[in-house]
Amino acid sequence: MSRRLSPIDRVGRVVLGALAAFSLLLLVAPSIIVVAISFEPRGFISFPPSGFSLRWYEHVFANRQLTDSVVVSLWVSLATAAIALVLGVPAAFASVRGTFAGRSAANAFLLSPQMMPGMVIGIASLFFGAYFAFRASNTMLILALSVFCLPFVIRIAMARLAGLDPRLDEASANLGAGKLETFARVTLPQMGPALVAAAAFTFIEAFDNVTVALFTSDVRGRPLPVELYYLVQYDSSPAIAAISALEIGLSFAIMLVIARTVGLERLGR
Amino acid sequence: MTHIALDAIVKNFGAVRVLDGCSVAVDKGTVMTLLGPSGCGKTTLLRTLAGFVEPDAGRVRVGDRDITDLPPNRRQVGYVFQSYALFPHLDVAANVAYGLRVRRVGRAETQERVRKALDLVSLSAFADRYPARLSGGQQQRVAIARAMVLEPEVLLLDEPFNALDAKLRLSMQIELRKLIERVGITSIFVTHDQQEAMTLSDRVAVMRAGRIEQVGTPIEIYDRPRTAYVAAFIGRANVLAVDVAAGRVVADPAIAAARPDGPAWLVARPENLTLEPGGEGAGWRGTVAFSTPQGATIEYEVATGAPEPLRVVTLRKVGEPPLPVGTPVRVRAVDPAACVVLEDGPDGA
Ligand SMILES: Nc1ncnc2c1ncn2[C@@H]1O[C@H](COP(=O)(O)OP(=O)(O)OP(=O)(O)O)[C@@H](O)[C@H]1O
Ligand SMILES: [Mg+2]
Repeated sequence: MSRRLSPIDRVGRVVLGALAAFSLLLLVAPSIIVVAISFEPRGFISFPPSGFSLRWYEHVFANRQLTDSVVVSLWVSLATAAIALVLGVPAAFASVRGTFAGRSAANAFLLSPQMMPGMVIGIASLFFGAYFAFRASNTMLILALSVFCLPFVIRIAMARLAGLDPRLDEASANLGAGKLETFARVTLPQMGPALVAAAAFTFIEAFDNVTVALFTSDVRGRPLPVELYYLVQYDSSPAIAAISALEIGLSFAIMLVIARTVGLERLGR
Repeated sequence: MTHIALDAIVKNFGAVRVLDGCSVAVDKGTVMTLLGPSGCGKTTLLRTLAGFVEPDAGRVRVGDRDITDLPPNRRQVGYVFQSYALFPHLDVAANVAYGLRVRRVGRAETQERVRKALDLVSLSAFADRYPARLSGGQQQRVAIARAMVLEPEVLLLDEPFNALDAKLRLSMQIELRKLIERVGITSIFVTHDQQEAMTLSDRVAVMRAGRIEQVGTPIEIYDRPRTAYVAAFIGRANVLAVDVAAGRVVADPAIAAARPDGPAWLVARPENLTLEPGGEGAGWRGTVAFSTPQGATIEYEVATGAPEPLRVVTLRKVGEPPLPVGTPVRVRAVDPAACVVLEDGPDGA
């Protein structure tokens, strides 16, 4: 760059750079500290760790209650992602392409869970279930989380759908395909990356959700976040850090798989 | 025998009437070209025929079936989009195979037909490219192959050649014309290129503001425009105000006019006018305002006192200089029978 910058521009750059570095630090530092602490050999949390050991990881994996809750959480998150996708994609399709009366009202309604705190959804689900004599269970948790996560899927799917050329649907119809076949052969394949993104975000959101889970999950077979919530109340060992580090690892793994398969930069499309 | 019939089609977009009682009939196995200025409703008319636009009034018939209420996917009307509309997630071969896959045609047959179709548009080497990596002309040819591979009875093409270079355009026109004849396809073309309309079509329909102004063979349209609008739209034409008396044009009595006495409009092609310096007798008098020798011809503009100068194209002998600007001349019709006298003027008034 040969262009001279004015003093104001130069100051602006420095300030901007500093701000960016600061935000990055804020975002990344806690994760790094948590991962560091998880290798602490002693029985209490300290930073920097006094040595390196995998003791707390062994401890975590040996704890049946914890590993069971991980399994519960995996199932709950998978089911939530599946339900949110199956309900969200057609809803987004209707919102973008539909021509029925009350379309924008329906759209606002479908996106409304986003305006509501998870706690409200959790409590409401609990009372709603109680009214029909259903007890809190992981089925209820899955349903509540699906409602909670639906707006993510709908938003991502809508953004992608709005960017698709409606002429392609016409071309498909002209070549003989019915509406369903057009959706399967033309619309869905083009939404692929967006759907992967929606599924990943829903999965991660469901996996570490506490607010909804606290009220609706099963008393036995608790999901991981609830299990942790109770754990921290009497246990302040680095085991918590080890679990957190594992969760960070899981998020990374998901992102890595996405990056390798569809490419991160295509997610928005 | 009429194969495609659009009958008094009306279509409004909001408050805008885009098709205004538009009727077209195309005979089986023939090619009809739609000509008209941008925004006159050509694409909308084709889209009505393909079923993408629901007309507010009027009927659409193909063969002896009324298809007005049939959804697009059950119409068997091939369509080449103005914007190509290729599937971006499918390669060229899969784009062309799309209609065959939908019809559950066997694998071997699909491959064979796709190969032939790609051959036809000289794109065999591009079978596994994706549309994003094709030029506009190549995309256009894929779009043509994708429609042709189904050998539809009716084929609609919305400016199918506008992205091709002159040489490719000509060869595609010829290939398509041959194919249309061999398969017996009835087709409607939209084009802005009069040359294309002339070479490609059996009949030309000139559109104006949502209506068909005139239908005829290309030569009929050129030689016998029914309105000044058609005359001005196809080729170049002089449209001049004249007086008619006793079935003759007063300024040049050689020209017959089947009109009542009074004012009228005369349409004369520039190549059907000639000029000579000075001179007495019938014709339009004026002075040379502008002249351009073009090799085999000379183009003149002659100022006659009318708002528009007269355009005259004369044959030029080798070495002949054009008449200098300012020369007084007399303009006459070469073939008086090829001049058309109309009631309505250039703006349809
Ligand atoms: N879906 C639509 N909604 C509103 N107006 C439309 C729509 N489609 C077309 N129009 C309008 O209808 C008129 C005719 O459009 P059309 O596309 O049929 O023109 P055209 O003759 O094909 O023009 P061109 O030669 O530029 O392609 C235009 O004024 C256009 O703005
Ligand atoms: Mg058009």
